[in-house]
Amino acid sequence: MSGIATGRLSTERKLWRKDHPFGFVARPMKGPDGALDLMNWECVIPGKKGTAWDGGYYKLKMIFKEDYPSSPPKCKFDPALFHPNVYPSGTVCLSLLDEDKDWRPSVTIKQILLGIQDLLNEPNINDPAQVEAYTAYKENRVLYEQRVREQAARMRPV
Amino acid sequence: MLTQLRKQLFECRVLVVGAGGIGCELIKNLVMTGFHNIELVDLDTIDVSNLNRQFLFRKEHVGQSKAKVAKENALRFNPDVNILARHDSIINPDYDVDYFRQFTIVLNALDNRAARNHVNRMCLAADVPLIESGSAGYLGQVTVIKKANFLYNNYGETECYECQPKPTQKSYPSCTIRNTPTEPIHCIVWAKHLFNQLFAELDEDNEVTPDAEDPEATDANKQIDQGSDSNLKISTRPWAESVGYDPQLLLRKLFQDDIKYLLKMDKLWQKRKPPVPLDFDNLLEGDSCFINDNTVLKDQLVWNIHECVQEFLHSVTSLKKRLEMSKSYLIWDKDDDVAMHFVASSANVRAHVFGIPLKSLFDVKSMAGNIIPAIATTNAIVAGLIVTEALKILKGRLDLCRTVIMYKNNLTMKKLIIPCLLEKPNKGCYVCSSKPEVCIRINIDDITIRHLGEEILKKRIGMIAPDVEVDDGSGIILISSEEGETEDIINCKLSQFGIRNGSQLKADDFLQNYSLKLKVIHEYVLMPPRLLFISSSKLTIVKSIIFTAIL
Repeated sequence: MSGIATGRLSTERKLWRKDHPFGFVARPMKGPDGALDLMNWECVIPGKKGTAWDGGYYKLKMIFKEDYPSSPPKCKFDPALFHPNVYPSGTVCLSLLDEDKDWRPSVTIKQILLGIQDLLNEPNINDPAQVEAYTAYKENRVLYEQRVREQAARMRPV
Repeated sequence: MLTQLRKQLFECRVLVVGAGGIGCELIKNLVMTGFHNIELVDLDTIDVSNLNRQFLFRKEHVGQSKAKVAKENALRFNPDVNILARHDSIINPDYDVDYFRQFTIVLNALDNRAARNHVNRMCLAADVPLIESGSAGYLGQVTVIKKANFLYNNYGETECYECQPKPTQKSYPSCTIRNTPTEPIHCIVWAKHLFNQLFAELDEDNEVTPDAEDPEATDANKQIDQGSDSNLKISTRPWAESVGYDPQLLLRKLFQDDIKYLLKMDKLWQKRKPPVPLDFDNLLEGDSCFINDNTVLKDQLVWNIHECVQEFLHSVTSLKKRLEMSKSYLIWDKDDDVAMHFVASSANVRAHVFGIPLKSLFDVKSMAGNIIPAIATTNAIVAGLIVTEALKILKGRLDLCRTVIMYKNNLTMKKLIIPCLLEKPNKGCYVCSSKPEVCIRINIDDITIRHLGEEILKKRIGMIAPDVEVDDGSGIILISSEEGETEDIINCKLSQFGIRNGSQLKADDFLQNYSLKLKVIHEYVLMPPRLLFISSSKLTIVKSIIFTAIL
């Protein structure tokens, strides 16, 4: 295995611990043997203040491949979210996370998480990933916002 | 030139770490020299025993913060100086690399190696020049540590504090202590162990009875009739309890029966002078050559063997009473008179048995308590030398900086102070080289992750909060300094995570900004005290360094 991915992730971890935006969490997950695994991270994104997402803390997994940072990590909400750009599996659809679109190896974990936070309240309607949230957003904005608020309430830390 | 230096003194910011023996002298020197912005960190409070030399403190300050009192009193010398005093440990994570970066120079006036290692690393990481100092009795030393600056690499590179390995505190092999002492210190260590065996919380590692498994004596051991000596197999505490701590019986067991048993391991005495069991009959008439010399203090007199025995009997009796009163165990303390008399007397009786010179109570106390006398004059000279080196740094003349050694016995050469050129860094240094690495010899099936973190990385390498990754691209993190992240696996063995002979680990200390590669060499033999071997690839032995002192 090459050490490029882990070397970079090790640096990312250091940078994150030194400075990260308030309310966010990003850390390597425990592997099956109990040791932490740099290739799989668990993250938390807080909903932005003053939006329907406010108050919720959305859990997300980041899965890195061996050719990271050439390829972006797969970002997956767990549990899946009610959001037009989140696949039913929970995977986030965002140009920043697309190797063929805006992904660049220099994008940091912090930038990814802030990008996803922005996406929460500013869905990209040209790139839908789930029917439910997409149609609600398109057809009944009041109902949509209502469901987002309910979701935020469910995702408050206990 | 002078006015420019004066301006620099006014503008620069210095950090003084430690407000003890050297620290007090140093702060006084700094405020009198014209340094204007001083920050002072010390976690300690003032103790009565500091007052003889730490002259910024008075009796009424006992118990207060050293840093704060030192500040107040230094301001009386020069009220126009800004001093910020912090009653805190410099190892506190709040003092990060950015904190260190705000200083022009860092001045160490520390008394322990852990903090020196840490400040050394912080200064390397922040690229701030460090003046390191130490004193031990009449020995003193000051040196300058400056990381390589790749822009002006003409003079800007010196050894760091950790470039040369420092001797660790001496410990003695257990068979020397239990079977074959040859020096007073061996008897003193034995006597301290004896105190613990009899009165303190039980510690099976520090047995005092003869060790029949002494590798030197194993053949002879087989010939010993185990049956008749069965009481020797019982460890000391239960035996003492069974006889109700009877002082006479203890004396007989320790200095007669045990010694006779030792003599049976005849292999031990083929090339050594054998011990002579205590002769009780001739004890009472012991040659009482009491020296009536007023020039010698009471504690500096060496007791004769008769006095030693009397002291032993007395101290056992009173310690026994104390043990019964307290209903728990006792703790050895050099400043506890009875405990000290017990250790001095039993050490001396043992020394007598083994034909080793006896020592005075005063000497035993300083050896048993690891006390190095602190001498105010040495500290004052050292503090003066620190300021002269600091001025050279301010002038940008690192080329003039020296390691200065103060050595009293050099007076025959009519030189108290010896300046030496600063050494170049050790290219294999496990701290300041560009790619630091060490080899660790461990048994991977035996060493736990906890051991790796606590004993190896913290105690031996001097990290504060290490993170450890397996350096093979798998991304496994064995130790995380974030709370609770790797607690579950702390008792697992290294081999459970694929560590093999030749594996590499990457250890990292977030606060010290220090990364170290560890090469694992699997040690097949299980060494009972898990031996660790650290090698920096090339070691050049230069002059002896003595930064180990109590200030």
